[in-house]
Amino acid sequence: MLRLAAPACETDDMAEAAIVTSDLEEGHIPGYKAMWVGIYAELTEFALMFIVYFVARAHHPDTFSAGSQTLSTVAGTANTLIMLTSSFFVARAVWAIRANRLKQCERWLFAALLTGLGYPLVKFFEIRWNLTHGLDAHDGNIFHMTYYYLTYNHLVHVSWGLLAMMWMIVRVRTRAYSAEEHAGLVSFASYWHATDLIWLMIFPLFYVLR
Amino acid sequence: MTPARLLDIVWFLLIALTLGGALLGESADPGLWVTVTIALFMAFKGRMVIDHFMELNHANHKIRRLVRLYAIVIPLMLILTDLFGPHIARLTALPY
Repeated sequence: MLRLAAPACETDDMAEAAIVTSDLEEGHIPGYKAMWVGIYAELTEFALMFIVYFVARAHHPDTFSAGSQTLSTVAGTANTLIMLTSSFFVARAVWAIRANRLKQCERWLFAALLTGLGYPLVKFFEIRWNLTHGLDAHDGNIFHMTYYYLTYNHLVHVSWGLLAMMWMIVRVRTRAYSAEEHAGLVSFASYWHATDLIWLMIFPLFYVLR
Repeated sequence: MTPARLLDIVWFLLIALTLGGALLGESADPGLWVTVTIALFMAFKGRMVIDHFMELNHANHKIRRLVRLYAIVIPLMLILTDLFGPHIARLTALPY
């Protein structure tokens, strides 16, 4: 097992402790192999939807060019900031557990959960705003159809992730994970970051590009 | 630099690029350079998440390459769609 001695001069939350980095050896598989099957399934599912997006964009460039102006950039940007920050908190939780700081790990996960819950909340207000502006999936606009299809699917993946995050908090709280054994937490973190990665692709395609 | 500090910097960069990208989309006139800039932002941000949040920079090479490829192919498809939209439309049109 590898232990990384952190600099003694740092006052950082994980600097004082020796950090277990056996799950970071060259060529390692982060977390469980089975989770990577799930992550590849998720990435493939969205890759197919991205192909649909690009084909539709090639066929209807004017509709797509005008489409992003009909959406709320504020809502899209807010959800990007939420996903990035929640993902960052999860990454910090993983490093906290490597330093065997279970309480800190739990706090980072709570912060990630509270931030992540902002995503469905923003989505709720965004959809309400859309509907009051006459934007629905049946308005015959192909941009709106692909937007609803991709973003609703992403919302489903975020919802699963939030439920898994609650389970992670329970697992950390009940001392099921430690510095030596936390593959379940790394597996969840990989899924959450993959969901973040997908949103980073969705956001500019629908909310930024004119 | 501690791993925590590196994560802080990566997060800050990601937030700054997100706000910068949104501002660019809102203020700049649409054009190829805007599309290319946004595609580069997508690729860079994706790579940051893959290497530093997912920690794939030292992981199994098959997992690393495939996931990294994801953050390259999608921005590239965006540029190609802007450059060759009519050709892609012809290739993907259903025969009448």
